[in-house]
Amino acid sequence: MATRELNVPSLQDLRRRLAAVPGLVPASLAPPQAQGRAEEARIIPAELVEPGPVSARPVGPPEPWPETVAFLDGIQRFEVLGYAGAAPLLFGEIAAAVRERVGREARTVISLRQRLVIGRPEVLALAPGAFQGVDTIALETAEPVHPLCDLDAARARLDDARIELERRAGNAYRKGSAAWLVVDGSLTVSPLWAGDPRMLGVAKSHATLPFSGEDLVAYLNLPVGHRSNVFRPASSQRAPVHAWGLRLWNWGGKDLLYGLIRVEAAARAETQAMADRVSRWLLAERAPISADLRWDRLLYGIHGVEQYLRAGRGGW
Amino acid sequence: MSEARAVGRVVATELKPSTPHQFFFWTPRESPVGIGAIVRVEAEERTVFGVVTDGFAYSDLQTPMHAVLGADGDPGALEEPTRRAEIRLYAAAVLRHIPEEPVQPVPLGAVHLASDADVVMALRMDSYMTGDKPTGVPVGVYAVGGLEAPVYLDAEFLLGPEAAHLNITGVSGLATKTSAVEFFLTSLFQKFPGQKGRIAAVCFNVKGPDLCFLDQPALLGEEDKRLYERLGLTPKPFENTRYYAPHKADGVNLNTLRTHEALAGNTEPLLWGLREVLDYAEVLLNRDDVDAKADAFIDFLAERVVGKEFEDNTLPGTFRVRSFADLDQFFRAIFTVLEESRGGGEVWKTHHIATIRKIRNRLGNISTRSKGLVTDDGEVNDLPWGGFEDRGLYVVDVAGIDPLAQDLVFARIVSKLREHLERRDLGVEHVVVFVDELNKYAPADGPDTYVRKMLLDISERGRYLGLVLFSAQQFRSQVQRRVVGNAGTTILGRMDGDELALPSYSTLSPATRARLAALPKGELLVRHPHFTQPIFVRFPRPAVLSGREGIERFPPRADLDFADAVARRMRALDPSLASGRILDLIAGRREEDVRKALNATVRARPEQPLAFFVKCLGREVRPETVVPRAGVRPVRTSGDPY
Repeated sequence: MATRELNVPSLQDLRRRLAAVPGLVPASLAPPQAQGRAEEARIIPAELVEPGPVSARPVGPPEPWPETVAFLDGIQRFEVLGYAGAAPLLFGEIAAAVRERVGREARTVISLRQRLVIGRPEVLALAPGAFQGVDTIALETAEPVHPLCDLDAARARLDDARIELERRAGNAYRKGSAAWLVVDGSLTVSPLWAGDPRMLGVAKSHATLPFSGEDLVAYLNLPVGHRSNVFRPASSQRAPVHAWGLRLWNWGGKDLLYGLIRVEAAARAETQAMADRVSRWLLAERAPISADLRWDRLLYGIHGVEQYLRAGRGGW
Repeated sequence: MSEARAVGRVVATELKPSTPHQFFFWTPRESPVGIGAIVRVEAEERTVFGVVTDGFAYSDLQTPMHAVLGADGDPGALEEPTRRAEIRLYAAAVLRHIPEEPVQPVPLGAVHLASDADVVMALRMDSYMTGDKPTGVPVGVYAVGGLEAPVYLDAEFLLGPEAAHLNITGVSGLATKTSAVEFFLTSLFQKFPGQKGRIAAVCFNVKGPDLCFLDQPALLGEEDKRLYERLGLTPKPFENTRYYAPHKADGVNLNTLRTHEALAGNTEPLLWGLREVLDYAEVLLNRDDVDAKADAFIDFLAERVVGKEFEDNTLPGTFRVRSFADLDQFFRAIFTVLEESRGGGEVWKTHHIATIRKIRNRLGNISTRSKGLVTDDGEVNDLPWGGFEDRGLYVVDVAGIDPLAQDLVFARIVSKLREHLERRDLGVEHVVVFVDELNKYAPADGPDTYVRKMLLDISERGRYLGLVLFSAQQFRSQVQRRVVGNAGTTILGRMDGDELALPSYSTLSPATRARLAALPKGELLVRHPHFTQPIFVRFPRPAVLSGREGIERFPPRADLDFADAVARRMRALDPSLASGRILDLIAGRREEDVRKALNATVRARPEQPLAFFVKCLGREVRPETVVPRAGVRPVRTSGDPY
C-alpha cells in the first residue's frame, strides 16, 4: 500500500547540474524559515458549541481506542541552491505519510515525497534543462528582489505544497480505509477532512487562541484530564470544524501551554457527544512518550510518522 | 539464493561504520537471526559472508524517566497503545568477501540467512569439498532459522600435514568432550579420505567407564538419526576395537570397568616387563632426586645389562636380567661385592653405591606402584606395534591405576607410536591419540614432566609424522599454552563463566561468550584454520554406549579369587570350557606359573586355548619333603690320634 516517489534528482544532483550555469552563483544555506512557518500570535474568538462559560470538564480515565487507528503527518525543508544576482533559487523537499496502527503495531501505509525547485521565473529560466525530473514553483511577484522576502514567499509556497501533499496522503488513505485517522494539525485545511466523522486534528500550536478574558483563563488553566467546552473556531481557513482544548499533562510548575492540545473533529452534532470518549482515548495516547522536546503535546503515533519521514530524507 | 527474502539490511554510521572485517545490520523484531547465524550480504559486484557475533536492541525511549511518566508511575498501567519503535541491531564478523580482492568495507546491502551453498562458501569449504579428492570430514551441522547445513573440517588441517590436532574445552557432564570426540572419531573413520592412507586411534580412558563401550551400539532417537543422515554418516559403533587394561594387583583381574563376560572377547591385559619400563624410566624417575649420575647408571643398565648377558670380573658369574626379580638379584650381587671389598668399597664401575641404591629403590618402587601393569617375571602383553589396523580403535584403560603408572603408560605408548610412525612400520599412516583431562598431563603450571614435554613435542611436530593429538580439558587456561595453541582445530562446548572471563577468550564477543556459558547439549563452537571466525555447530549423539549406559547394560563383574579369575579368562577365550576343568588343572599350581601360562594363552589366542594353556603350564612338579638319607655313622674315637 505504501507509495514512494523515486527517481527524482537529489539536492546533490541539482547542485552538479547548476554548477556551470552562467549567471547563477552556487550557494548553500538552510535558512531559519526552512523548517516551517512561525505562526503569528493572535486571538480569533470562537463560538461555543457547548454552552458557556468556558469551564474545565473532566473526561474520565484514559481509555485506549481498541480499533485500528492511523496517523498522518508531513514534513518540509528547503535550502538555497544559489543566487541569480540577489534572487535566490531554492530546493525544497516535502513529504507526507500515513502510518496505520493495527493492534499495537504501526506500519507505513502511505508515503509521498516531492522535491521542488522554487525561484522567480527569470531565475528558473536560467537553466531550464537542469530541473528535469523535479517540479518547479515560480514565485510570481511584482515586488523588487529582496532575498529575505523571497525566502518567506518560497516558504509559504512550500507550506502550501506540503499541505496539499498531506491532503493527498489523507485522501488516499481514506479511500482504502474507514479507520480513525489522526492528523497532526488542523482539519480545516481540507473540507473533506473537516467533514469526515472519523478524522481528528490534533494541534500543538496555540498561536491562535479561541477565547479571551475569563474564558481564556479557564481554557488555559485546564487541569490534567479535563477538556474545555466544544467550540467552533472562527478559522480563516477553508472548512468549519468543532474543537476543544484538552490537557494531557499537569502543567503546574511548568508552562501554561504544557500538555495542552486542541482537538478538532467534524462539525457534526455527534462530535459534542463523543468529545469525552475521544478525549479519554487521546489521554491514553500520551504513552509511549515521544522522543521529542514537544513530547507533552506530540502523540507518539504522530511522532512515529515524523520519524519515518525524517529517516527517509537522507541524501536529499 | 538471492531470490530468498532478506532478513535484514546493513547499516553503517560514523559511529558504527562497516569495515572489511565487521558490519552491522538491522532486522525486524521477529527474525530467525541470532548469535552465531551465518548471513550473506548482497550488494552490487560484491557478496560478503558474515557470522553474527553480537546483538543489540533499543527503542526510541530517550530516558527511563519517560517510561515512568508515560505509565504515570504505575508499572501495571494500561499497555501503551502503540508499541515503541524498536531496533534489533546485529554485529557480524566477516567470514569471506567475494571477490577477495580488493579488500573493502562491507557494502550496504540486503542481508540474507545463509543457505547450504552459502555455508560452504562462507567457511571456505569449497576449497576442500570440491574436486576429485575432497578432504572434508563432517563435524556437525550449522543450524539456524530452519536451515541446517553440514559443516566439514579439512582432513589436511585436522590430521596434518598442513595443520593438525584438535582440542576441546568444556565443563563436565554436558555431552561436550567425550561425546564430541566419539562422534568426531566416527566421522573420521567413515569419511577419512582414502588417498590420505590408513588411520587408527588410540584412546586413553582416564576416568570411570567413559570410553569403555565404544564397540556397543546406542539407542538413538529419530532426530539423531536424521542428523547422521544429513551428515552422510552411518550411526554405528566402532567395529574394530581392542581394549587394554592393566591387571589389578592380584595379577589376574583386569583393572577396568569393562569386565562383563560379554565384552571379554576384545579386552586384554596390558602387561609390561622390565625392558618396556626401563626405556621410559625417565617418566618415573624424573623427580627432583634423580640427577645426572643416576641417569648415567640407568643408561648403563639399559645398554649393558637388561636383556643381555652381563659378565664382569668384579661380579660372580653371568647375569641374564630379564625381569625385576633378575634385576634385584643383580643389584644384590653388586652390594655384596662392595660390602666384602677391603675397606668397604663405595664405587662400582665408577657408579657410587648411593646412586646404585637410589636407582634400585626407585626401580623397585615401579613394580610395586605399578603392580598389575609391570610384571616381575618379564611377561609382556602390549599393543600390536607394527600391526595396527586401518580404522582400528585401541582403547587403553588407565582409569584405575596409580598416576605414576598412568604417566608411564601414556609416555610409552605415545613414544612407541612416534617411533613406529617415524619408521613407517606401525601398520597405519595416521594415528589419533585422544587424551582427556589434558590439564593433568600438560598443566600450565608445575614441573616440566616427561609427559608434558612429550605432549608438547607431539603438538609441535606430530603432524609431520601423522601423530595427531585430540585432547580435552575442562579449563583450557590450566593447560600448557603451547600444547593447546598448536591445536589447529579448537572446540569449545559449554563453558564455565570464570573461565570465559579470562583474557584468552577476549577475542570472542560478549554475546558469544554468553551463549557458550549456556550452550545446550550437543552444541559446540568450532574454530578451524579455514574458518575466519568460530562457528556454532550441532552434532548428533554418538552411536556408541555412553559410560553410564554401558555400566547399566554391562555391569562389571565382581573381582574373583585367583582360580575363578583364571577360569573366567579362559572361558572368555573358549566359552565351551568348563570352569571345573580349569580349576582342577590349576589346583595346587604356583600362581606365578598359572599367571604366566594364562597370559601366554591370552596373548597367543590359539585355536585350542586349553591345550595351549596346559602346554604353557607345563608338567606339575609336586613339592616333596626332603628326608635326610641315612648315611654311615661317623666313627667315634676316644682320643686324638695325633
